[in-house]
Amino acid sequence: MTPALRHFVAAFLLCFATHSEAVELIANPGIAETSLPRSVVRSIFTMRLTSWPNGTPIRVFVLGDKNELHALFSKRILGVFPHQLRRAWNRQIFSGTGQAPERVESEQEMLDMLSQIPGAIGYLSEDMINEQVRTIAVE
Amino acid sequence: MSKYGRLPLNSVAARWLLMLAGGVSSIAFGAETESMDHNLQIHGFLTQAYVKTTENQFFGDSRDGSFDFRELGVNASYRLQPNLMASAQLLSRVAGEMYDGSLAVDYAQLDYQMHMDERGRAGLILGRNKNPLGLYNNTRDVAATRPGIFMPQAIYWDRVRNMVLSNDGLQFYGERNNAMHRFNLQLFAGKTPIDENVEKSYLDPSLQASMEQDGLTTGGHLLYEYDGGRFRLALSNAMLELDSETNILPDGKIDIDYWVFSAQYNNGPWRLTAEYMQEPLDYSGFGGFLDPADTTLDGYYLQGDYRLHEDWELMLRYEESHYNKDDPDGSESSQVIGLNSYTFYSKLWTLGLLWEPTEKLMLRAEFSRVDGTIFLSGLENPIPNETIKDWNLFSLLVSYSF
Repeated sequence: MTPALRHFVAAFLLCFATHSEAVELIANPGIAETSLPRSVVRSIFTMRLTSWPNGTPIRVFVLGDKNELHALFSKRILGVFPHQLRRAWNRQIFSGTGQAPERVESEQEMLDMLSQIPGAIGYLSEDMINEQVRTIAVE
Repeated sequence: MSKYGRLPLNSVAARWLLMLAGGVSSIAFGAETESMDHNLQIHGFLTQAYVKTTENQFFGDSRDGSFDFRELGVNASYRLQPNLMASAQLLSRVAGEMYDGSLAVDYAQLDYQMHMDERGRAGLILGRNKNPLGLYNNTRDVAATRPGIFMPQAIYWDRVRNMVLSNDGLQFYGERNNAMHRFNLQLFAGKTPIDENVEKSYLDPSLQASMEQDGLTTGGHLLYEYDGGRFRLALSNAMLELDSETNILPDGKIDIDYWVFSAQYNNGPWRLTAEYMQEPLDYSGFGGFLDPADTTLDGYYLQGDYRLHEDWELMLRYEESHYNKDDPDGSESSQVIGLNSYTFYSKLWTLGLLWEPTEKLMLRAEFSRVDGTIFLSGLENPIPNETIKDWNLFSLLVSYSF
């Protein structure tokens, strides 16, 4: 491999590396947790876990199925495709065993909700994150 | 035609709906703040299908092309507390001669979670609740959650749908998670609505049977999930006993024991599903005349789905049903009962395409090649020997859900 090619490959791989960190799990700063196991994140986003350990109701916010950040979050953090996640919600919504997450239309709206609403959880791209919200590590 | 949805529970359901409606109006009139609003959700769906068959009648006058397959549903859920939720759904279903579209209470229930933490939960559901049989039974009338235009008939018979749909009683659920594994157990007991479809499926229509349930339907569903659903295994059961009167024979009883084993593998764009159903039927009484009718029905399907692109999915399914699991080609049953052997089994291949242009809209097109007629309804095809062995089924579906 020539040095130029090696540089190219390294840069190319770096693109993916930064991409993979481009979406972060975010919650309202009133939440005590700083990290959550992946299985708990899945329980939250499939709407089965409805309150935080201190009793605050969990409120889940998501962008649309076709939003790129949503797709990234679904695949990277939850490990499912957006259409599979929607089917999981539909199975509960239409059997009376659960509710749908709340829908936001933009990352700005997501940021507003996550910073203002106690118990709120969602996701943001790295460059949208500020001190009004809490980044939660996924174990 | 259907007795379903006209049971005394309706008054309870009506009260829940009124309460939910009260919630809506109090929000509409600004009596509550924004914090009230998000606890109430309203969802629904509208589905219309077109069915064309070369022979036999399936979901209406399908030989001439039928639009008599239509499903409308609307539900409301209200989370009173994180661990307490009330929900109810109204359903209207037109399915050829089998269901006439009359409004029914699909479920009306109160769900109380006694325990909830990050490792699991346990709770109790009271009211009319959906039976969790197989992977799909509790949302079988919702196109957005079904694995195709029609449910795989080998497991989810449309002609006796109400028998396994729901119960008026209670359901217990318990769930346990750890890093990669999730176990979920549901147990239910309650009264099952019996309708004409059931009466005409389990006894010959000429006997003009009328059936009543003796005791309760009991059952359960045990699910194991690995890695958020990458692998899924489930075992489900429902048991019930029907007291039957006929116009000719002495009274009798039919014991039904319905088992479903399910397995699914999800990996990226792929989904592979297999389900197997076994249903021993035991006829007792009837002056002994129906003792030879004792049998064990069985059926299975294998389905592969592949997400071609964000919005498109391809589906291929093979399913097989047998009236007697030890007589898959129907020849022995044919000798004993006297009907053509192909009325005792069905084998079908289905190829389908799904397009979801938006989150709310779905369109499907499917083509099936069918051998045998066991899953056809006696209400739509009154003379079994007049059904045709080899037939094709083409269908289109459009569904909107919100």
